[in-house]
Amino acid sequence: MSKLFLLAALALPVFAQDPRQIILEVQKRQHADSERYEGTLEVTSQGNQVATKRWVYQRIGSFGNSKAILRFTAPAEVKGVGLLIVNHPARASDQWMWRPAIGRDQRIALQDRSTRFFGTDFSFEDLEERDVDQYDYKLLADEGGMWKLESRPRKSSQYEYSYFWIKKDNYTFVKIEAYNKKGLVRTIDYKNYEQIKGIWTARLTEVYDVTRKSRTVLKYEKLEYNLPMKDDDFTLQALRRDL
Amino acid sequence: MIDAGVLLVALLTQQFEQRGFIENSTAVYPQTAPNDSGRVVDDLLFREEASYKFAPWFTVSGAFDARTDSHRQTARDGVVDADDRSIQRPAFSVRRMSATIHRGKVTAEIGRQLIRWGKTDILNPTDRFAPKDYLSSVVDTDFLGVSAARVTYESGGDTVDLVWQPWFTPSRTPLLDQLWTALPPEAAGVSIVDAGARYPGGSQYGARWNHIGSGYEYSLCFFDGFQNLPSFDALLTPVTASVALTRTYPDLRLYGGDAAVPLPWLTIKGEAAYFTSSTPGAEEYALYVIQLERQVKEWSFVGGYAGSVVTRDSASPLQFAPDRGFAKSFVGRAGLTIDASRSLAIETAVRAAGSFVRFEYSQLFGQHWRATGGIAWIRGDMTDFLGEYRRNSYGSLAIRYSF
Repeated sequence: MSKLFLLAALALPVFAQDPRQIILEVQKRQHADSERYEGTLEVTSQGNQVATKRWVYQRIGSFGNSKAILRFTAPAEVKGVGLLIVNHPARASDQWMWRPAIGRDQRIALQDRSTRFFGTDFSFEDLEERDVDQYDYKLLADEGGMWKLESRPRKSSQYEYSYFWIKKDNYTFVKIEAYNKKGLVRTIDYKNYEQIKGIWTARLTEVYDVTRKSRTVLKYEKLEYNLPMKDDDFTLQALRRDL
Repeated sequence: MIDAGVLLVALLTQQFEQRGFIENSTAVYPQTAPNDSGRVVDDLLFREEASYKFAPWFTVSGAFDARTDSHRQTARDGVVDADDRSIQRPAFSVRRMSATIHRGKVTAEIGRQLIRWGKTDILNPTDRFAPKDYLSSVVDTDFLGVSAARVTYESGGDTVDLVWQPWFTPSRTPLLDQLWTALPPEAAGVSIVDAGARYPGGSQYGARWNHIGSGYEYSLCFFDGFQNLPSFDALLTPVTASVALTRTYPDLRLYGGDAAVPLPWLTIKGEAAYFTSSTPGAEEYALYVIQLERQVKEWSFVGGYAGSVVTRDSASPLQFAPDRGFAKSFVGRAGLTIDASRSLAIETAVRAAGSFVRFEYSQLFGQHWRATGGIAWIRGDMTDFLGEYRRNSYGSLAIRYSF
């Protein structure tokens, strides 16, 4: 058993020089059948005005074949508003929003993945799970305990290319810089890593929108993986059941 | 002992959810109407919604409104109302009081609740269990709860919804002596009074099947009940030059459906219903809406056409029918999320004889306060549903504290 482990450990760095394999390994190590966290999101606009939102997020399934429900808990005026996201491997996700004030769910038109997520600096594309086959990867540098990769989308994207910095020791993202034709659009920093149920997890993600000079910090609290969850709790009925 | 108490409080808090707001809204009308000289209407609303989860499968939910206003639109008798049948808004009303039971694929909600059907925006022909409050405006309305039992079975992409409403709730119409009742010029000098209503007895039923497929969804529905918008029986008393109007609610049967198809460039949504009635003289008609939606960065656009086809004319010319009033129009809505705190919205219905445009700017201050300012502009001929309200263009400001 220990020999097998040693062999795998020795083989990994060589195997991992292929940039696509690095990304696959990142995803493999982050794999969880379910996830739950309480998110706190602070958006600091150019004029230093701060808006705070909180939600509870639950996901079942992973990587292109998952369902998630995001339920806002603050500010008070959006408390109870819910979002059901059904991700598909081969096409854009289906999304429905539940607004308790009008007692109705509405399918959201989501053709433009560059749309910002509820006025934050994340775009919907930034929050999508990455299908490795939809990108071409190039290893640009191997230095300081990190790989620097270039990622170019094969399908339509708001970005021309992105740079990833990935830690070699635990295969975690450190930073992403995303560019369009005009230049740098967004930076995403992953901070405060902790191991939760064996999965290295960033407890804080910071996005900076270069054009708007606006910053969004997302903190993940009470994060848990592989909790027992049921498919029945990720439906339109489940979305409208709670207050 | 103290630890047990703390644990109990923590447990109870976890199962209890609440939200609410207090809102003051002011509408300013530059023009007066022949039956209403008021230019400013102020409305104060307190709404509290709460739910308690007794068990993972059993939740009790309630919502309570308390309100008053400067224009006698709200009753001042202090009675708590639970059926929403009064012509004025009640000062205190139970908007929701229901128990929800959830076992496996079945969800049942019994009691006063909001029931919404349909997929389109601005106009929903199939939304028959959702009477509205048109008292303050016909272009900006709120929904009323209904007393009903609703059972929903959901399996995979299929949902079957069965509703039984034993107690009829009408839509609340504008008061006869106020500006949202548009009287024809011939009515000048005639006293028009409300003579009450003849509410239908019996239950209302409905069933809806919704299917979510790969890249599309649709539903079919059926409703058997009553029109929640009134027709009026008029009794003329020549000696006193007065007309007494009695509200009546014809039978209504609906066959309808809706669909949504998200495509790479836009989402198509449609909704249609055909209405028949066994009440002599009641109108029979079809209503349909087809709309396109597209999100472009922080803008969302919805545009479409609402149409109607009358297959049997009404014997009574006196009806309040905003659902058909918005038909035969191009309808649209555009929204802009400026940032996490600010948004803009524009909504319109346009046709040759009448149109309206509503513009709103909204801003959140801190975690609790929101201010929303708006302008509604209405134009058209007196022969048109929208046009008859052409004097009622208004500006509005709402300040809301949410908690």
